[in-house]
Amino acid sequence: MSVTSVGTEAGSSRWRVGLGRLAAGTALLTAVAMLPWLSGNDPALTVLRARSADQDPTPGQLAAVREQLGLDEGSFTHLAHWLGGLPRGDAGTSWVSGEAVLPQVTGAFAVSFTLMLGALVVTIAVAALVSARTLYLGSRRRLHRGSGAIGVAVLAALPKFLLASLLATVCGVWLGWFPSSGWAGPASMVLPALALGVPSGAMIGGLLDQALPAAFNEPWARTWYAYGFAPGRVARHALRRALAGVLPQLLPTVVALVGGAVAVEKIFNIPGLGRLALDAAIAQDLPPLQTATLALVLLGVVSGLLIRALRRALLGPALRDGALPALHAPAPSRGRFTRWAAVACALALLALVTGGLLRDPLHVDTAARLLPPSAAHPLGTDALGRDLLARLGHGALRTVGVALVVTAVCTLAGLVLGMAAQVGAGLTEVVATMPAVLAGLLTTAVTGPSAWGAALAVCLVGWTPYAAQAAALLEQERASGHMLASLSFGAGPGYLLRHHLLPAVLPPVLRNALLRLPTTVLVLASLGFLGLGEQPPTAEWGRLLSENQPYVELAPWTVLGPACALVLLSVLAVSGTDVVAVRRSASVRTS
Amino acid sequence: MRTSRGLLLTLALTPLLAGCFVAGAEGSGSDAEGGSAGRLRVALAVPPVQALSPYSNDATVLSKLSVAEGLTSLDKNGAAAPALAKSWRQTSDTTWTFELRKATFQNGTPVTAESVVNALGHADAAKPKPRVLSDVTLTAKADDADTVTIDTKAVDPVLPLRLASPALAILSDKAYAKDGTVSPVGTGTGPFKITKLTDKSKAALDRYDGYWGGKAKASGIDVTWIADGTARANALRGGDVDIAEWIPTAQAKLLDAKTRHEVPSVRTDSLVLNTGSGLFTDPALRAAAREAVDGSALVDSVFGGYADPAQGLFGPAVSWVTDKRVEVTGRAQAATTAQVEAGTKGKTLRLATYTNRTELPEAATVLQQQLEKAGFTVKQDVREYTRMEADLLAGKYDALVFSRVTLLDTGDAVAYLASDYTSDGVYNIARLKDAKVDEAIKAAAEEGDTTKRRQKIMAAEAEILRTDAVVPLIHEKVVQGISADVEGVLLDPRERSLIDVDTHLK
Repeated sequence: MSVTSVGTEAGSSRWRVGLGRLAAGTALLTAVAMLPWLSGNDPALTVLRARSADQDPTPGQLAAVREQLGLDEGSFTHLAHWLGGLPRGDAGTSWVSGEAVLPQVTGAFAVSFTLMLGALVVTIAVAALVSARTLYLGSRRRLHRGSGAIGVAVLAALPKFLLASLLATVCGVWLGWFPSSGWAGPASMVLPALALGVPSGAMIGGLLDQALPAAFNEPWARTWYAYGFAPGRVARHALRRALAGVLPQLLPTVVALVGGAVAVEKIFNIPGLGRLALDAAIAQDLPPLQTATLALVLLGVVSGLLIRALRRALLGPALRDGALPALHAPAPSRGRFTRWAAVACALALLALVTGGLLRDPLHVDTAARLLPPSAAHPLGTDALGRDLLARLGHGALRTVGVALVVTAVCTLAGLVLGMAAQVGAGLTEVVATMPAVLAGLLTTAVTGPSAWGAALAVCLVGWTPYAAQAAALLEQERASGHMLASLSFGAGPGYLLRHHLLPAVLPPVLRNALLRLPTTVLVLASLGFLGLGEQPPTAEWGRLLSENQPYVELAPWTVLGPACALVLLSVLAVSGTDVVAVRRSASVRTS
Repeated sequence: MRTSRGLLLTLALTPLLAGCFVAGAEGSGSDAEGGSAGRLRVALAVPPVQALSPYSNDATVLSKLSVAEGLTSLDKNGAAAPALAKSWRQTSDTTWTFELRKATFQNGTPVTAESVVNALGHADAAKPKPRVLSDVTLTAKADDADTVTIDTKAVDPVLPLRLASPALAILSDKAYAKDGTVSPVGTGTGPFKITKLTDKSKAALDRYDGYWGGKAKASGIDVTWIADGTARANALRGGDVDIAEWIPTAQAKLLDAKTRHEVPSVRTDSLVLNTGSGLFTDPALRAAAREAVDGSALVDSVFGGYADPAQGLFGPAVSWVTDKRVEVTGRAQAATTAQVEAGTKGKTLRLATYTNRTELPEAATVLQQQLEKAGFTVKQDVREYTRMEADLLAGKYDALVFSRVTLLDTGDAVAYLASDYTSDGVYNIARLKDAKVDEAIKAAAEEGDTTKRRQKIMAAEAEILRTDAVVPLIHEKVVQGISADVEGVLLDPRERSLIDVDTHLK
């Protein structure tokens, strides 16, 4: 990375990024186009089923469907035909309904996009609340202790579909404040936007909150404060500095909700793109699925460009000229509270697991159905009379183990792709908006239903947040003055990686990964209907939540236990690493 | 500077947002007049797949909302009743003559013999063929303005029942487009006409004043499709709709007792055993599974009381079965637990079910425990139905927890028995090949006399149960949520009717 040829390099890198986008988008669309032929599921049968559930699958009927859709022509003819129609504004007709696809997809896209904007507003509000304390104290140089990450971890661990169910029941049905379902006006947007935005906001806020102390620690902030600049002004510039690293997270966290909010769309009966794509995928109705994928790819690329432009606007010429100061956090000094929280969570989880392992998680007792917590069943029983404590305890190891492995793989992949900025950027934008279900479908097409298929599918799309984050942080780090200094002293790439790049990137990425741990658990479980992942009745936290979701109102304890377990896990992960980080930096200081 | 940029952005986004909601508001276009007295608000469960084409799943919507009618309809006992045909007679084994009543299509044109011939011709030519016509070939011709003669290629004793199928609804010529699509918008003959269909989410219907059976009491219907059961229940509880169909059993208890109406359904849930390959080729093991499985344990647990313990393949919703039930004899001797353990050594029982009906995975888990008690080693495989149908038909599982409609769109039980249990049945998941069963089903299919036909159907049921290829578990009940303000909703076990001329708000 030479500093002299910045101009030409920027030009060629732009080309390479563009090429990366094109290649990634093409690869994805081709894979989707081949799905019905790859999957081993006869598309004629699935289309026939989608049209008429009672229809007998006679060879004659299947042949009629096959002929009608021209399935024998093969995937490439269909892809070419579909691509050929696009310039004319014709995205083909649905295999199931025979109606034009484009109006359907644009309608659903508009709905989902609007909902995403609503969720974005909530996200921003929640993120602002989360980071308000740090911003206020930091701008007044009174930030002696880091703020508790516990609240953030709790909010970020809330399953969106559970929040949605809860909001629909409480604010929709009981209180009647908002419509419990439908898409008839701004009022019907409030509850779904909250359900989607609160966890996302906590996630974004958590990352911002972690980056802010470093910004306040920069020399300019100290100087400005000493000169008596207004705290508001210092805060604004610190925010500007910290936001640049956090902004790319909006793409996989919020923009991805356009295609990835299926559960919430179902609960609130919103005719969005996620449901459309899912229905099309199940019926193997290729034209709508392809068009929805294309829409999501374009959305990803456009949002990626927008976010990039926004970051440039925030960091300005400093980024281009390699004149950024390094954004390194001061030695964090978390309060005793964080340590206690970590210990308490660890103990609670330990008690949960040991308590649960002593019990039978599979014993069905239909007479003991939906019993509230009691001495015999400390966490109550589920709809089949199984002990919830037992199911939580037995599921803990598998759930946490798989989620940790998936997160580790995703983080690693994210770091690698984030460092290969030019190839990675395009790929990240294209994949970031893809719903996990699509990855699940592609995985089943290749591997068939399997226990580890869910993990594989999540790995396929789960790396994007880390890649986006790593790329942004690396760009800033590379543009920093001390890198230039190291370079001029003749530092090699290995040295730079170890001493500058990784230390700058790893802590925020790690925080991000841990905040996303509960989401990973839920996404893994959400692919079960494709036959991916462990089959029932195996206990697993994500499944516990989804199988008990219908009983939220009738027997709240059936979801309370698993939800609390997730929250405990999240708090433990976040506060635990904080404690370790404090220890390590303390030991570095004393040595 | 910054604020003005933000302001500009907001201003730029406002029309976009507004645009989205206008699209949504148009869909609920009738919302504005929804307050006007007498319009029913209905939440249906299965969104339209083919723009309400009668040749798809959507056909039942047309009959549920009284939009379109066939020549005949089914009465409470499942017998054919007059609809657009006021009477009919069989003139030979394969020829039937139908006399039409004076009726008009919703666009004002009269229903003539020509239009009936045209409609039936389109149904016959549809690709793929509607299921109701899959095992029969019929030709209709107009004798005069109000007489239609229908010839069938082979003897078809249930033709009048067949014609009641919503797939054979008579629509005006305008409904049938050249490309094979069919639109029931404003082309039916029923008391309600569709005025607007918005994608898969909403439809508006107005009363059709020229209906031959008199004016409907409700002035119109606003339909919302809500696929999620909890959301449907919520819509009813929140007062957003007056009628919500298919309330899931987990939500039923949350409804006010006055709004909760249970209807025995013609759906039977059973454990289908694969007799063609794997463990259950052994009749003794099948018998052991039958003895091990207790469907009544599911009734109060998984189904929350909204089911009846199984009595056979056909449940209480099929009203004529009770006094005709034939005792099952000649079953294989069940293997003991020790024999099961010896016989299945090293082999697991692959138990499949699907997620589309929420109760089935729960039922499978209960059954797993029951089967394990009897010595089987069980492994479940649970997926979305379309993700496993091909595997099911290929016999890749040993057992399937299956929810099946026992009276298909013919309203006649033979169609179900023939497709599911004859050796050449296309839906024979049990892979049953049993000469006696084939014979019994064939005998029932050929019988023209209603009473004798029903007796033969029950004899065939006993033959099928004898083989232990299927273990009936429960007969489902459907919970319909109906607000206390609504009167005259039809509670139909066949799920074909819901609202008719007499349904109205109090």
